[in-house]
Amino acid sequence: MGGTELLQFVLAGLKNGSIYALVALGFTLIYAATGVINFAQGEFYMLGGMLSVWAYADLGLPLPLAGLVGVMATAAVGGVFELGAIRQRKDGDPLALIVITVGGSMVLSSMARHLFGPNERPLPLFSGGGSVSVFGAVLEVQTIWILGLTALAVVGLWYLYNRTGLGRAMRACAVNRDAARIVGIDTRLMVTVSFLLAAALGALAGLAVTPLTQTAFDVGPTVGIKGFAAAILGGLGNPIAAVVGGLVLGMLESVSIAFISSTYKDAIALIVLLGVLFVRPQGILGRSRREKV
Amino acid sequence: MRERRIDIRTVVGLALVAALVFAVPVLTSDRYLLKVLTFVGVNVIIVTGMALLFGYAGQVSLGHAAFYGIGAYTSAYVVSSLGWPWLTGVVLAVVLTCAGGLLLALPSLRLKGHYLAMATLGFGEIMRVVFVEARGVTGGPDGFSGIPFASVGGLTIDSAGGNYWLIWGVAAVVLAFAANLVRSRAGRAMRALHGSESGALACGIDLTGLKVRVFVISAALAGLAGALYAHVVGFISPSTFSLHVSVLLVAMAVLGGTRSLAGPVLATVLLTMIPFADAVIPGLSRSALEMIQEWQEDVYGLTIIAVLLFVPGGLAGALRRVSGWGRRAE
Amino acid sequence: MSLLQVRSVTKRFGGLTAVDDVSFDVFEGAIKAVIGPNGAGKTTLFNILTAFDRPDEGSVMFDAADIVGWPPQRIVRAGIARTFQNTQLFEEMSALENVMTGAHAVTRAGFLSAALRLPWTVREERDVAEEAGRLLRLVGLGQWADAYAADLPHGLRRLLEIARALATKPRLLLLDEPAAGLNTAETAALADALYRIRDRGVTILIVEHDMGLVMEVSDEIVVLDRGAKIAEGPPRLIQKDPAVIAAYLGEEDADEL
Repeated sequence: MGGTELLQFVLAGLKNGSIYALVALGFTLIYAATGVINFAQGEFYMLGGMLSVWAYADLGLPLPLAGLVGVMATAAVGGVFELGAIRQRKDGDPLALIVITVGGSMVLSSMARHLFGPNERPLPLFSGGGSVSVFGAVLEVQTIWILGLTALAVVGLWYLYNRTGLGRAMRACAVNRDAARIVGIDTRLMVTVSFLLAAALGALAGLAVTPLTQTAFDVGPTVGIKGFAAAILGGLGNPIAAVVGGLVLGMLESVSIAFISSTYKDAIALIVLLGVLFVRPQGILGRSRREKV
Repeated sequence: MRERRIDIRTVVGLALVAALVFAVPVLTSDRYLLKVLTFVGVNVIIVTGMALLFGYAGQVSLGHAAFYGIGAYTSAYVVSSLGWPWLTGVVLAVVLTCAGGLLLALPSLRLKGHYLAMATLGFGEIMRVVFVEARGVTGGPDGFSGIPFASVGGLTIDSAGGNYWLIWGVAAVVLAFAANLVRSRAGRAMRALHGSESGALACGIDLTGLKVRVFVISAALAGLAGALYAHVVGFISPSTFSLHVSVLLVAMAVLGGTRSLAGPVLATVLLTMIPFADAVIPGLSRSALEMIQEWQEDVYGLTIIAVLLFVPGGLAGALRRVSGWGRRAE
Repeated sequence: MSLLQVRSVTKRFGGLTAVDDVSFDVFEGAIKAVIGPNGAGKTTLFNILTAFDRPDEGSVMFDAADIVGWPPQRIVRAGIARTFQNTQLFEEMSALENVMTGAHAVTRAGFLSAALRLPWTVREERDVAEEAGRLLRLVGLGQWADAYAADLPHGLRRLLEIARALATKPRLLLLDEPAAGLNTAETAALADALYRIRDRGVTILIVEHDMGLVMEVSDEIVVLDRGAKIAEGPPRLIQKDPAVIAAYLGEEDADEL
């Protein structure tokens, strides 16, 4: 295989990896705040694309505004889900919360089907169908958008986490919820904020990808599982690890298509997921302390 | 739940229910109804395992449809493609799902937290890909057709009533075994695990070993149900074994409630019947049925959420409260 | 004969040394007490002895085998049982069932044999229920067999936990503050129960704040302060030990000594 062809696969891996990274960040934020895996994370990705399409095609808003509406509306759905379901389980039993997110995932995708129909729906490319050549490999402009938006989201999240009081409060909750509560942090509010942010990040990924792939009510679980695999691969609970995990997973998939076959491409992420869970459950960047029963 | 001596009323009640269940093919000749109820029986077999796993061992699996599928494809392949007897297909299906369950449970249950939920989710999706892509064995996305009926020693079970009796016969045996299990040393250990993990450890209970065993049993029951199902319907395809089905099974276990077998069985009957409401409601209009089918996902999802938020003991808890037994069960 | 030998056991949590180079022996048939001011490391020591925690250094020999690193269920099978400072009962099970669960490690019925309800499992189950009834009577809970653990009065909950621990057929019983929250009459009943248990051949190691009880029942006392052993000996000597009195000065328990 030539260098150009290899570069082409790397670019594809980066593109998919960015999407996984955004979804993985959502898992990580909610896990840090609650200790729970949010199985509805993939639905936020679906809703981001779907609600943007709705704002653009059905409401007739200009594309940038439609995208903003899509992301904001999804964030609102995330917040409502937290307030209306997660928060109502007073004892915070993790098993119950996990199963509640599974139920939520089912309801959200089904609602999307009722509202927007069963068919795939398209969104135009953000800035036309052009592409640029990078050392001979083709880089679509939409891919540049995806990489750029991901980078922007990561930088924004970094700023929030490290430079704002809200971010510090969120980090405090992630380290020790009880201690955070004692020093006067509204830990409940932090949980709601994590759901809002996680939903917005997932929605951003869905919005950025829809012009390339279209979207439908049932795209959530597949991407959700991959984002989750990325979060586990990096090490749950650490945002940088989520981004690294996403990019590594994207590359692994891309490389496996190049060298093995595309038939089992979708299984790669899952095999990685099981492999990491069994061999190194703390992830590649996690501390090596294993929590045993 | 307090261990009660089995009183005469319970025995008579169970006998009446069993007699009614087994009399159905005699009472009706409605093939559609029989088929739907047979399908309910298949789900009862799987949900019995889910009830042990969720309601007793406190674990959740999001990949039981995969074991259901492995069981179905294994038996279909062994009997239809290799031409071996039906019983070997069913036995191999159970053996294979036991092994798969063990491979998945051992590493994930050693760890604290709900790693099993994640591992089973990943496993379920891998198997879905395999069911679609391993065309040589599974028939790919078009499915596996022409699976012969169950037959033992020259006797082929090819009538709707015969298949109904086969499935419900197995379901009854499975339920009886499970009922024995939960009232035994192992069942006490499972309830102890729910009550206090430290207390259970102090009693010398091997928590990991216990959870692994329960998971393997639940996987094997799903495999058994899959193997039986394949020969009843004659055709299987990947969509029968999707994540959606795994979640539906979780919904049945959750609605049924914890530390109970009767609750989950009742929940299975209710939730399985939803899309086939026309089988039991005579004169249900076509459009009403379509409406029900259109909204069934929402019903499943909302049921899960509503039960976990407002009725933590599920149907079993509600029944216990109404009847006054085990008032402390929640 | 020395049933339990604790040698140089040390446990650190971050910068805090919870148990600091502690060594002592428990002799077969004795009632030994571990006392010390709050935060002296008594519960951590118990957790190490029962594999709820692992020591950073040191060894624990039980009946000539080093049990450090064994999983809790193996330790229970070897013959060490425990109770908890905050009782860990199975609230939704009856008192009888709680005690029957304690027999887990000494019974055999597995998943398959129980599912099939093999005759020997039915017999085993009946024997376990009878033995559990006897143990309930031994600790004075005979008439509470069918009550839910959650419904037992506070003082009786500790006795139930002791009965459950006895169901594991231990050679060594570790009791973590069994008299906490008990009134005078209940404490006297507890002391009686401890003697009856000891007379059945069970060695007892007890962590306790109630000095009256400790001085009455124990043959020997180990005193911990800030993780380290500061004294060991029979109750009479411990009461006069200047290091012990110093450790308790300022503690409200001091005048109880």
